[in-house]
Amino acid sequence: MIGIDTLFFAVVSRGEANAVLRKAQECGATGGTIFLGEGTVQSKLLELLGLTEIHKEILMISSSYELCDQLHEILSEEFMFYKRNKGMAFSIPFKRWQMQAAGQEQKSSPKDVGFSYFCIMTIVDKGRGKACIKAARAAGAKGGTLIHGRGAGIPTDFYFPLIIEPQKDIVMIISTKDKAPLIRERIFSDLELEKVGNGIIFTLPVSRVSGLFENMSEEGKEVVS
Amino acid sequence: MSLVFEKTKEVTRTLLPVVTLVMILCFTIVDVETDVIIRFIVGSVMFLIGLSIFLWGVDLAMNPIGENMSHEIATSRSLYKISLLSFFLGFLVTVAEPDLLVLGSQVEAASGGTMSATLIVYIISIGVGVMVSLGVLRLLRDKPLNVFMAMTYGIIFVLTLLVSEEYLAISFDASGATTGALTTPFVLAISLGLSKVKGGKKTEENSFGLVGIMSAGPILAVMLMSILSRQKNIQGDAGEYVVAEGVLEPIINAIPTIFFESVIALLPIALLFFIYNFRKFKLPKDELSGIIKGLAFTLLGLTLFLTAVNSGFLDMGRIIGMKLAKMSHWILIGVGFLIGLIVVLVEPAVHVLGEQIEEVTSGHIPLNLIRMTLSIGVAIAIALSMVRIVVPEVKLWYFIIPGFAIAILLSFISDPIFVGIAYDAGGVASGPMTATFVLAFAQGAASVIDTADVLVDGFGVIAMVAMAPVFSITLLGTVFKHKKVEYPVIEKKEVKTSHLIEEGNIQHDCIMAVVNRGFAEKVVEVARQSGATGATIIRGRGTDEHQKVLLPIINIELQPEKEIVLLITGTHISTPVADSLLCDSQLDQDGEISVFISPTEAMVKPLTTEKNMDDIESET
Repeated sequence: MIGIDTLFFAVVSRGEANAVLRKAQECGATGGTIFLGEGTVQSKLLELLGLTEIHKEILMISSSYELCDQLHEILSEEFMFYKRNKGMAFSIPFKRWQMQAAGQEQKSSPKDVGFSYFCIMTIVDKGRGKACIKAARAAGAKGGTLIHGRGAGIPTDFYFPLIIEPQKDIVMIISTKDKAPLIRERIFSDLELEKVGNGIIFTLPVSRVSGLFENMSEEGKEVVS
Repeated sequence: MSLVFEKTKEVTRTLLPVVTLVMILCFTIVDVETDVIIRFIVGSVMFLIGLSIFLWGVDLAMNPIGENMSHEIATSRSLYKISLLSFFLGFLVTVAEPDLLVLGSQVEAASGGTMSATLIVYIISIGVGVMVSLGVLRLLRDKPLNVFMAMTYGIIFVLTLLVSEEYLAISFDASGATTGALTTPFVLAISLGLSKVKGGKKTEENSFGLVGIMSAGPILAVMLMSILSRQKNIQGDAGEYVVAEGVLEPIINAIPTIFFESVIALLPIALLFFIYNFRKFKLPKDELSGIIKGLAFTLLGLTLFLTAVNSGFLDMGRIIGMKLAKMSHWILIGVGFLIGLIVVLVEPAVHVLGEQIEEVTSGHIPLNLIRMTLSIGVAIAIALSMVRIVVPEVKLWYFIIPGFAIAILLSFISDPIFVGIAYDAGGVASGPMTATFVLAFAQGAASVIDTADVLVDGFGVIAMVAMAPVFSITLLGTVFKHKKVEYPVIEKKEVKTSHLIEEGNIQHDCIMAVVNRGFAEKVVEVARQSGATGATIIRGRGTDEHQKVLLPIINIELQPEKEIVLLITGTHISTPVADSLLCDSQLDQDGEISVFISPTEAMVKPLTTEKNMDDIESET
């Protein structure tokens, strides 16, 4: 019996996710969900030319704690997450919801020690994701991953019955515990999230990270976090 | 690595086989002057740089412009305005296409001046405008594409019987000329934008097909023109051909003209956008500067690669065609096949279409599979065209009519999204590379063989290239739909929950629901009933333990398309929301839902109301 209580995330270059997933399945993962995202480049010159996108794929695997640790070790080794620009992985404690589980809720567990990393998710209107990453950088974040999504549709009657689906940018930023509140405040105030309809921000605890570079000394290198 | 390097890498990968093939031919069986070889190599480098920049520019400028324009079209409240605006868009992008003017003057010369080139250009542009406008209405009304295309091609078949073979060839060539390097990405972007605004379950299918519809416009227009003006035969030939001398001179001489043509081609789209931006969109400065940069890249890239193609590749294609036709017919057919196999992948619009397929299906349809099918289709088409040049008894319509007829029949049993991709691919495949390199190759071969007609056989190639992908991709779609091998469902594993974190100020839970594509709306609906307010949906693909889908023969694993729904709810209602999601039988069985919950620290606005459209749970 495998208890699923962690979601393992890997951010890699476009096209690599299938290979990562295959490897993960060899280790015992049951399956995963892949979606497309964009990473960011930090370089003045490239920014000037408008070349600030890198295509990324994000792989999400539901796994148990033990498996997750194993995945971290094996995948970081195999796909060289410890090298710069090779990708990264992190895991967020999630509980897989099952009907039977509803009654026997356990609020705490022995493994519950403080988390040193946090994943800050911001959902804003399409086009403002870049501004969000800019704000986060100003507050000390290293970069972010942009995912395009859409809000739930609101049927509107124009000439044809259309379901206008508001396009959204989802920004995922991984940061250390001490920086997280700062970044959050900064995004919150810079993007004026206090105004209704401007977007939301929330944080998820991260239990383990591999491949995140905290001390970026050189400019001009791509940072994905 | 930055995206622009990725693009360069991709272009290199597709261009390298072409260069290798040509070089091998040059050094083994075909004797080509050194000048032409060097020019070809210089051209290849220019092509590489130009196309990479161009593709980047398209990403940066064409896509947002298309998206904004399509939003404008879809949200107008009158039928009149929708059709007029889309007609106008179709008309404007076509009228400025430089290839079309070239075609127009060819027809003018051939018809002995009875029809002026400008008139022909206008007639074709009106044809495109009408078709684009009908295509947009089809999309917004949710009428099936296969029926629409069956009707369109039904009309074309009837007209085919009434026009001469010359006009049949020219009408298809006109369609190839209108789906140029610039128009195709733009129309693709419009189509994508419209389907996004339209929303609903058919978003994916609706993202494709507009290019296919558009490319039927010129065919209809030219055929009707031929019938109405009673023009039957076109005399004349392509003229005596002179190979340009020198290495750099022809390239440098070509730049100003092509730059000018590119400016003219780009101008209508840019102007229309700026007018609308000034009056309506009022985009923020960042976005606007991105678009302006993108337009500059597009222009630069377009000029570079069109120059490369025209001065570097044209002569090479022609010489190879001539020399091979003299040697052996079998070699000609064989080389034709090889050229078809690799040239179509260099076509700029094929890159754009590929990207769009990846974006829309988020990787569900393997891009390489589409590319393979496209190459094989075009390879066979060019090989058959060579057969036609060698054997005069074989007529163009022997292939065109059955090809389209079978494709249309297949489109009714094929996977709907492939039908759209197939028709688009038809327009996309006959881009600048085909119109120069392949056309020159065919015309070169035809000019050597006495029984062949340079005009008919040359133009016929484009018709074949336009038909082949429609056929091969609908065929692929049929295989895709009917031959999927599904592996049996494995027993669900029991899952125990154990771990939750406790933090001081956690008042919210983040619920993440993964469902099959198309069920996200249902998730939101169910969640709303239990008290959640809003949600964000991400498209993805994924595998799970339950099912594996393999495509036969080539053994490509297909990952089912998924949607991920993110919900932020207050802790007190997260349990009922999650329960209700799992209880919904439709979601459970058809949607294969799995739900994950994690406590989260959300920063919610202090005094928000329930009306808030955004993704918040306001009661804290």
